Amino acid sequence: MLNPLPTPFDREAVLALLAEHSLCLDEGRIDQWPDLFVDDGIYRVLSRENVELGLPAPLVYYYSRGMMRDRVTALRDALTFEPVYTRHMISDIRLSADGAGQVEARSNFAIYQTTEEGVTRLFAVGGYRDVITATPDGPRFRERCAIVDTFGVQNLIALPL
Amino acid sequence: MNSSFEWPSADFTRVPYRVFRDEKVHAREAERLFKGPFWSYLCLDIELPAAGDYVMSYVGETQVFVTRTEEGGVAAFVNSCAHRGAQLVRNLRGNSLSHTCAYHQWCFDLEGRLIGVPQQRGVKGKGGMGPEFDRDRHGLKRLRVDSYKGLWFGTFSDDVAPLADYIGPRITPEIDRIFDRPIKILGYYRQRIPANWKLYLENVKDPYHAGLLHLFHVTFGIYRPTMSGRVFMDETNGHSVLRTADIGERQSDVNEAYSGIDKYRADYRLADASMFDVAPDYDDRVTNMIMTIFPNLMLGQVANTFQVRHVRPKGLKEFELYWTYFGFADEDETATEGKLRQSNFVGPAGYISLEDGEAGRLVQIGTDRRSDEDCSIVEMGGRGEIGDADTLATEVALRGFWKRYVGAMGWDVAPC
Repeated sequence: MLNPLPTPFDREAVLALLAEHSLCLDEGRIDQWPDLFVDDGIYRVLSRENVELGLPAPLVYYYSRGMMRDRVTALRDALTFEPVYTRHMISDIRLSADGAGQVEARSNFAIYQTTEEGVTRLFAVGGYRDVITATPDGPRFRERCAIVDTFGVQNLIALPL
Repeated sequence: MNSSFEWPSADFTRVPYRVFRDEKVHAREAERLFKGPFWSYLCLDIELPAAGDYVMSYVGETQVFVTRTEEGGVAAFVNSCAHRGAQLVRNLRGNSLSHTCAYHQWCFDLEGRLIGVPQQRGVKGKGGMGPEFDRDRHGLKRLRVDSYKGLWFGTFSDDVAPLADYIGPRITPEIDRIFDRPIKILGYYRQRIPANWKLYLENVKDPYHAGLLHLFHVTFGIYRPTMSGRVFMDETNGHSVLRTADIGERQSDVNEAYSGIDKYRADYRLADASMFDVAPDYDDRVTNMIMTIFPNLMLGQVANTFQVRHVRPKGLKEFELYWTYFGFADEDETATEGKLRQSNFVGPAGYISLEDGEAGRLVQIGTDRRSDEDCSIVEMGGRGEIGDADTLATEVALRGFWKRYVGAMGWDVAPC
């Protein structure tokens, strides 16, 4: 039995938003990634270790779409990191109403990285906790929080998870 | 590379790449550095507020646990049962007034004394320990510990000087500056960097790369080679401080320093630069303070962020960089929020720090198959005598590290 979503949400459109987050990163369309958020949207990556200890330090903390655009620009023009292809596997998506007219979403992720020589490794696993809001352009993330189990980070986190 | 190995340069301007990939070097480090007369960082005092609180840590690759004793002191032990050697403490953090091995339930108190051996007198009159077995002779292997301003260190050596003397009077004022008031832990970060641990020490002792690899903090004024900058060392040259302050800089000097470097873009602007709008924690205009304490600790400030970075070797070609990210106990919510915002500078995903992980990976890959006699060139700042520098165009602190390292390893040095 699926939870009912508040009007005007369409379940298919919400699922498409979740999928598009993975696809724009995996298909090299990272320029479009900030557009999945509202202007004052929040994107965070937290270590499960810190979450369980009740400690606030984030691995990544962007609190505006401008900051997300800045990261995209830096990834493209400035930052030095190993070029990799990524592939997100998303599972166990649960959608529910948050009581304030928005949708809460939870899901699990596994992110694989593939080097330029075609060697694939599991890079990170964890869970997303999202708040999704309705806009005239369809559902958008008000907040997306990626809590990583793989907090012993394999070298570095360059791209959004 | 045994004791007959000869280091190729008397002024340490050459570093043989072998030291990053030779198993014999790695084995020798375990004995001479991490079991030798040096202090290794363990943890922070505030991580052990109550009797029985403990954390796991590492001295080199030896797992240890550090605990608050019932009398309020701190004790550290090799995390291995005195009986058959099983890992004793199995959680990274916790509280317990005694520690019982899972394997045969041998029990130890917070001073490491063996206080319980099940079936010591046998079962139904048979078996058990012989009459000569003396529990007092089978405690945990204990480290010597010492602290400075709430930083706890441990050593297997009875000979090394007390910690404050080991760090030395030229370096301690920089610790005093940061630990002038109580701190609070904001979180931990862990990075598994695919490089030999010493490459990270080279990285954080190297102000030359900081303005060239890290475009981000150049562009946004956290660090530029034209800033007022200083590199200074303790008298052994093994510890160092790299300090920059936003003082006396002219744009014309910046333009000159970056002439011909495509990566520097004076027109680069952030769409949202609000993470820079954080009031400074100190009024001394210091934007960076990167301290290293030989052999494997880094303590530092980048803008409003403060961290302890413990470089934990994990085999020859990998290390964990274990960050303890902290703020100040008396700061207000706005100041703490500023530190959370500026976490975007540091840690595994930080604009600045992520590139240091990549630099380590690149050097490990690049040097892994170079010839045994090949060396890196460490001449920025000149050759000859190793001394403090009032410029950031220098690699002299790397030479200081290698000087102390080669001494610790007991190697000969080629004559000039």
